[in-house]
Amino acid sequence: MSTIATRAEGATTVGRKGFLESKAGRAIARNWAACFLLAMIVTFSLTGRNFLSVVNFQNVVHLQTLPLLLAAAETFVIITGGIDLSVGFVAGLASVTAAKLMQVFMDAEMGAGGVIALGAASALVLSLLPGLVNGIVVTRFKVPPFIATLGMWGIANGVALKMCEGFPVARLPGELPRLGNGFLLYVLPGEFVSFLGLPAGFPEARIREVWRLVPFSLVFVLLVLGSLAFVLRRGRFGRHTYAIGGSLDAAIRAGIDVDRHLIGTYVLASALAGLAGVFNVFQTGIGNYTTFSSMYELFAVAAVVIGGASLSGGKGTVLGSAVGVLVLAFMENGLAISGVQPFYRYIMVGVLLVLAVVIDKLFPDLF
Amino acid sequence: MENARAIGRPKGASRLRSLLGGRWILAFLILETIFFCLTAQGFAHPSSAQMLLFYGTEVFLLAVAELFVIITGGIDLSVGYVLGFASIISTKLITALANAGLPPVLALLMGAAFTLLVGVLPGLVNGWLVAYLEVPPFIATFSMLGACHGVSELIIQGIYAMGLPEFAGEVGNGHFLYYAPGAGFSFFSRPEVERGTTVYEIVPTIVVLAAVAIGTLAFVLARSRFGRHVYAIGGNRDAAVRAGIPVRRRLLAVYALSSVLASLAGISYSLKYVSGKADAGASSLLDSIAAVMIGGASMFGGSGTVGRTLVGCLVIAVLELGLRMSGTPTFDKYILVGVILVAAVVVERYLPEDRK
Repeated sequence: MSTIATRAEGATTVGRKGFLESKAGRAIARNWAACFLLAMIVTFSLTGRNFLSVVNFQNVVHLQTLPLLLAAAETFVIITGGIDLSVGFVAGLASVTAAKLMQVFMDAEMGAGGVIALGAASALVLSLLPGLVNGIVVTRFKVPPFIATLGMWGIANGVALKMCEGFPVARLPGELPRLGNGFLLYVLPGEFVSFLGLPAGFPEARIREVWRLVPFSLVFVLLVLGSLAFVLRRGRFGRHTYAIGGSLDAAIRAGIDVDRHLIGTYVLASALAGLAGVFNVFQTGIGNYTTFSSMYELFAVAAVVIGGASLSGGKGTVLGSAVGVLVLAFMENGLAISGVQPFYRYIMVGVLLVLAVVIDKLFPDLF
Repeated sequence: MENARAIGRPKGASRLRSLLGGRWILAFLILETIFFCLTAQGFAHPSSAQMLLFYGTEVFLLAVAELFVIITGGIDLSVGYVLGFASIISTKLITALANAGLPPVLALLMGAAFTLLVGVLPGLVNGWLVAYLEVPPFIATFSMLGACHGVSELIIQGIYAMGLPEFAGEVGNGHFLYYAPGAGFSFFSRPEVERGTTVYEIVPTIVVLAAVAIGTLAFVLARSRFGRHVYAIGGNRDAAVRAGIPVRRRLLAVYALSSVLASLAGISYSLKYVSGKADAGASSLLDSIAAVMIGGASMFGGSGTVGRTLVGCLVIAVLELGLRMSGTPTFDKYILVGVILVAAVVVERYLPEDRK
């Protein structure tokens, strides 16, 4: 009730005919995060040396693989009106599990290919479990998602730490980082274009001259996010997700099996977190547990909200959340390259978040 | 009353319900304590109780801070980093004042007072965002978490805040009362006795300070008009508005209070560990929220008491100390707290009790 009143108020105070009422103004307000991202890229291109370069952009996306997947996972949960605080530690758990399993398979004298494939696959399967528990606790036992997933936050963290005894898991197959950090194209202008690797016999000394384009991580992220965006936008699963978040009662009356769908959503979130964690093993070559101060889950929620979702559900897109992640990432990268102390990043995240919500409040009819 | 109900519904579950009611968590705490007394070597000793309180002080304060916010139906994610921020501010201020030539006691008191003043600011901003701009508490307080983290790191440039005078550490690790056989009782300072005589240390000083703060707030929440308003806002905000409660001002005050309490916890941290650290409270987010929920508060607001929250804190503190003393790695604690947190909310649902 009170929100309707304030929204109407907000609409009338801003309702003066002006730029904000024009078509262009509304388009900018609707996609303010994307516009902000563009503006930021332009600014940093002027202030930071080497900011505007393919290498830097590839690096940013490469390093944001995990946040991008976590934000996509969080998007689905937030659209249903819930929240998943466990994604960050589930990612760490999956990373440690994959690494530990790979060690077990290595000790069993398996080939490197088998070790990697089996380890990654079993960690992925195991990462469905936290989501299943979350979903059952939320639907069958009616525990608020915040509490249920905060419980899993502790459990996943504890299990991961117990498994790795508080240290990153090293001693893994050497092929891992080559797979996770490879590129599709290797180009030396005027000499060669080669796929997936350097041409045989290329001198080690000249390796810095080669352009390495399209990292595997980019392809991976595009594939995953692309299919998720498709599912959310066009699939039945996506329609039901929006329906539940929009109005739970209406969704029940429309005959949607809400409990099953919610369980599915939490399982999807935790599977994506697991995927992020396992891919992280490929990128770093070790199994990393999640530290408290990394706050992956909170930054994922932040990215989703900056990307236009609302914590009360019913709104949000995978693309928007990805833009949210990139806004945060380029801010950090750009500030660092421009020589600003990295600590401002934390403050800027806060400012952006509040800005996102206030813009959302000011233009209730836009979204 | 309870007997009458038991007669009216003589089924087993309902008898259990009327027997335990809202006190099941207290029963759990007692069982837990007995369990560790039996299994963990050295746990059954009065000094464990003191240790529980000493190491738990910050979580006790944070949980009470969180309780007020949760009763209004909100959440405060920033308490942990406000704690870190305050630990740095107090370390820097007390050090600066002491270096400026002030007597240590005065430097300590003034530094602490200033820290509390600065510590209101994050809460005021949180409250303003939540109450007046209607930003969801999760977002507003997460933003504040980021701001506090950033500012803290800016101040200390990625290391610790250090340099506190020795006196600060003596206060932080000292006790309220000392008893030496022969020399009698003495307050705050260790009596001068021969080497080798046993001196009994009774109740750490910072625990006394925290107890005074928490006791006052328990009274405020249970008995004062402000407390009634806090419950009313969480119970039904529209009704609270219609009843003429200045909801926005009250919310502002609740978030400010939360942040002051977190700052107090920060001061206690810096005195205890003689340093300040940006992420000093990073891992206590789970503990503080879990303590409130284990204490039977509702995520949606309107219920919860300081007493029950303290029981929730003790459940976690006993668990941590018990595990540590039985030699299990502390990682188990996170798992168990997570499980107890969810279980408590589920049990609370199946043992609905006619509480206030």
